[in-house]
Amino acid sequence: MQTTTINELPIEAQATILRVSATGEIRQRLMAMGLITGAVIQLVRRAPLGDPLQILCRGVRVSLRKSEAELVIVKPEVSHV
Amino acid sequence: MSNTVIRVALVGNPNCGKTSLFNILAGANQRVGNFAGVTIEKVTGVLQHEKYRIEFTDLPGTYSLTAYSPEERISLSYIREEKPDVIINVLEGTNLERNLYLTTQLMELDVKMVLALNMQDEMEQQGIQVDVKTLQKLVGAHIVPVSAVTKFGIESLISHIIRVYNGEIVVRKNKLGYHSLIEDAIDEISQKLELPHGRQAFAPHRWNAIRLLEKDPEVYRQFHQDPIWLSIEPILQTAIQDAASLYQTDPEMMIAEDRYAFIQGALMETVSQSVRPRKSLTDRIDAVVLNRFLGLPVFLLLMYLVFQFTFAAGAPFTAMIEWFFSTVSAGIAQVLPSGPLQNLIIDGVIAGVGGVLIFLPNIVLLFIALSVLEGSGYMGRAAFVMDKVMHLVGLHGKSFIPMMTGFGCSVPAIMATRTLKNPADRLVTMMIIPFMSCGARLPVYVLLISVFFSPQAGGNVLFGIYLFGIFIALLSAKLLKKAFFNHDTEPFVMELPPYRIPTLKSVLFQARIRAQMYLKKAGTIILVVAIAVWVGTNYPKNPETEAQHLTTVAALQSNPEALQHAKALHRAESLQYSAAGYVGKVIEPIFRPLGFDWRIDIALLTGLAAKEVVVSTLSTIYAVGEDNSQSALIQILKSDPSMTRPVGLALLVFVLLYIPCFATLTVFKKESGSWKWLAVYSVYTLSVAWFSAFAVYRLALWMT
Repeated sequence: MQTTTINELPIEAQATILRVSATGEIRQRLMAMGLITGAVIQLVRRAPLGDPLQILCRGVRVSLRKSEAELVIVKPEVSHV
Repeated sequence: MSNTVIRVALVGNPNCGKTSLFNILAGANQRVGNFAGVTIEKVTGVLQHEKYRIEFTDLPGTYSLTAYSPEERISLSYIREEKPDVIINVLEGTNLERNLYLTTQLMELDVKMVLALNMQDEMEQQGIQVDVKTLQKLVGAHIVPVSAVTKFGIESLISHIIRVYNGEIVVRKNKLGYHSLIEDAIDEISQKLELPHGRQAFAPHRWNAIRLLEKDPEVYRQFHQDPIWLSIEPILQTAIQDAASLYQTDPEMMIAEDRYAFIQGALMETVSQSVRPRKSLTDRIDAVVLNRFLGLPVFLLLMYLVFQFTFAAGAPFTAMIEWFFSTVSAGIAQVLPSGPLQNLIIDGVIAGVGGVLIFLPNIVLLFIALSVLEGSGYMGRAAFVMDKVMHLVGLHGKSFIPMMTGFGCSVPAIMATRTLKNPADRLVTMMIIPFMSCGARLPVYVLLISVFFSPQAGGNVLFGIYLFGIFIALLSAKLLKKAFFNHDTEPFVMELPPYRIPTLKSVLFQARIRAQMYLKKAGTIILVVAIAVWVGTNYPKNPETEAQHLTTVAALQSNPEALQHAKALHRAESLQYSAAGYVGKVIEPIFRPLGFDWRIDIALLTGLAAKEVVVSTLSTIYAVGEDNSQSALIQILKSDPSMTRPVGLALLVFVLLYIPCFATLTVFKKESGSWKWLAVYSVYTLSVAWFSAFAVYRLALWMT
């Protein structure tokens, strides 16, 4: 099973969250935003300067830094055309 | 008729329209302050309804009660310590899934709660329908659909608050059940808490148990300090180990998953939505505004517009205020006989009042711009675009606008830091704003540059000054953050809300509230200080020089030119004998290493009142005649042998960096809520200025 982090997803890719390896404050915030195990997210874009990232999760537009996105382990969905 | 007081707290996610709702409930009866000892804004308001006096507190938006950041913890600590009578949990109806996460946590607290299902109007637009009756049972609290925009449901909400308070409405609490692993741990912990020692201290038990499993830092800390921790810790350890070995996860995540499972289940039963258009307007706008190539230019353009709007559009109003006050002064000069009373009124009181009001147009315009940016939802995008750069120096994307505003004037800029929710970000930003050289310092630069540099070089020097200011600001941000706030940086995880059109009413309302606050709080202090400064620069008078001057005036009545000159000399001399002059001479040794003499010191001292006053004080000290022309002063300074170029450079740097004007200090104190930070701040700016000017002076000396 191929796993990666949100940070490394290609733009517009969808993925399912396997694990949130962040701790403490960041973890709570990610979870409160709906980034929990089993949630489906989509990487929408990177900011003009490359950081932070914007993802779509449960219909909510969430932005997070690369350093935070790196901590979310996901399984990419095979894209259906 | 006795009044019953009901204390209500508004809790909810950021962007749920809580503040708009608060504004409707409390109207203009609101106050803005700080939560005890922290740089976090606290807004309270009152509504008088029949025989009830309802006191509202708008708590900062939070996504979860298990928060770490100070502004989010405030909500939890307020609820637990202040124990409001009723809590209104405001929900963004178009985003129920995420909003209910907080609700699931509130449900577990022992509080009377009413849910305000906000944004009814938008829900209707998007075809979202909620079976309120059923959802109420699931959530265990009454739900009142409202719209802060159309004012729908407000009466109903108020009536619900009262009836819940009175106990007329009781909704059966619903318990959110978790996975058996979690429930077992909860039971075990609750048992331990049932023991006499724990029973009172850690109520409600279930809530505390869940909190421990969710790793709430505050609850952890409380338990750690108590001997009961010894019996609790093993239970937690077992839960963590079991979760890892059996399910490859941890209790924290399991609880979060269960919360969302509950929410999804509840919503599936109670919410239906007609099909939404594929690409919403928000996404289409974002495609441009956050575009890789267009994002920055769009941002810079908007910032430019904000700046122009605040200062250029404000200029005519500022000019009107100046004109008004000079007219009044002239009028008074006609009416009152000249002498100390006239001086006090014109140069002290009127100048003081004018000095307060002069900031008003910029403040109002800036807050209108900020309201529009925040209300429309663009603010989040601005932070998104700028974050990479700001984060490098330990600042937040939202710090950009206040910093940029500082180039015009520090006073509205510091007030604008209210958009920063995190107190550390807010304080650091406030402290570096004055390094963004404000408009009032410009006349001083222009004067000094004209004295010491050729016109061609002048432009470059000016640019260099501004750049140096920015450099020091960014460096300071990094240092201050490290020195005082060296904990984990605040996570940037945030929501980009959908774009909305802010109502004109809410925008103007915000601006009005800010203006009122400024006048009430800052205004009085600034006025008092202005008068104190006037007294300090005019008194005490030396009786000998006064008497001598009278004789001189009498003797020179026939020679107007000589009379002018004599008056100028007299003013210069009087200044030396005044309190300000005395202080200037006393502190001279401190500034000698920078090449400054007592005359410069006095001028700098008066610059604490307002930066542009440095120029007029220099005019007075150097006895420039009453025509007060710049060129005359420049000539005099040029011919003064002690005014060398190294001194000029050092002075430029010093004026750039040293303690800002009293108006700025006053607003700083008010916004930061603490004397300690004001003191730190004053010492910091003065030190930075002194050392920088010293370095520049010595370097310049060495190079010439």
